[in-house]
Amino acid sequence: MATLHVLSHSPFTDSRLGSCLRILGSQDALLLCGDAVYALQAGSVQRQALELMPESTALFALDEDVQARGLDLPARLTQVDYCGFVALSCQYDKVNTWL
Amino acid sequence: MSKSLLIISRQAPWSGPSAREALDIALAGGAFDLPVGMLFLDDGVFQLSGAQQPASLQQKDLSANLQALPMFGVEALYVSQRSLEERGLHQSSSSLAVELLNDTALTALIDRYDQVITL
Amino acid sequence: MNLLHVEGRELPLDKDGYLVELTDWSEETAQALAQREGLSLSAEHWEILQLVRSFYDEFQLSPANRPLVKFVASKLGPEKGNSLNLNRLFNGAPAKLAAKLAGLPKPTNCL
Repeated sequence: MATLHVLSHSPFTDSRLGSCLRILGSQDALLLCGDAVYALQAGSVQRQALELMPESTALFALDEDVQARGLDLPARLTQVDYCGFVALSCQYDKVNTWL
Repeated sequence: MSKSLLIISRQAPWSGPSAREALDIALAGGAFDLPVGMLFLDDGVFQLSGAQQPASLQQKDLSANLQALPMFGVEALYVSQRSLEERGLHQSSSSLAVELLNDTALTALIDRYDQVITL
Repeated sequence: MNLLHVEGRELPLDKDGYLVELTDWSEETAQALAQREGLSLSAEHWEILQLVRSFYDEFQLSPANRPLVKFVASKLGPEKGNSLNLNRLFNGAPAKLAAKLAGLPKPTNCL
């Protein structure tokens, strides 16, 4: 029962990302969109934490949100567009959106 | 067989509508016989603290409503051990009978449910 | 606005016939509300109305059918706390009608 966790809030204003990373299952995946992509900010603790995630955990970021914020994508993450987002939502058993 | 639903409530009780909305989903699900579970995570654990007096904010008493969960058939109630500890809270001070879970157990819990909503 | 006439007073009701002011409730009010529903209150009804009010006192909300059955069963035993009995007493809509006659808000989470 692998879960796709979707985050859209900045990791610098609250604990969603931290809590999510702690309870993420080894087969689960994480998709960052909206301000959650600020977790990719170079030099941040959050980016470091993402880069250290085990290989089995798939990490995605929504390309338009990354580009809009002028961030660069670490090799550890896979960029997806909205079609990819929809495909992922279907591919996983369930989606947990951290509202 | 209805799909099971886990509601993760992670906002403090009086900061906005989220805690109320999470509880309303749980009560509605229970009223319709859905297998519903509820997990208190992050600031959501503040909802469990006793001795709250929301009348001073002119709001409905969320903690009284929380006590109704078992009556609505929602008896699978969980709390994050880590979230409690981070805030200096203890399970014994909880106004509701909740099962204490560590991070690994939370992963397994989410895995067990068909659907998850985090508010 | 609907008005309920009880002992020379006019009490406001909402569009569904529930008391607007919870404090307007009295036994006479309950009788008058029951009459509007074509119901005559027996000792069996009163017992449930008292319980619904104590449910509201404790949880600050009106019970839906399932919690009502459970609560009545826990207080009065399963002979009284079952859907059959409560449906019989309250025209097939126990949560809605009992809350109405007990002067409580309309239960949410009910079809």
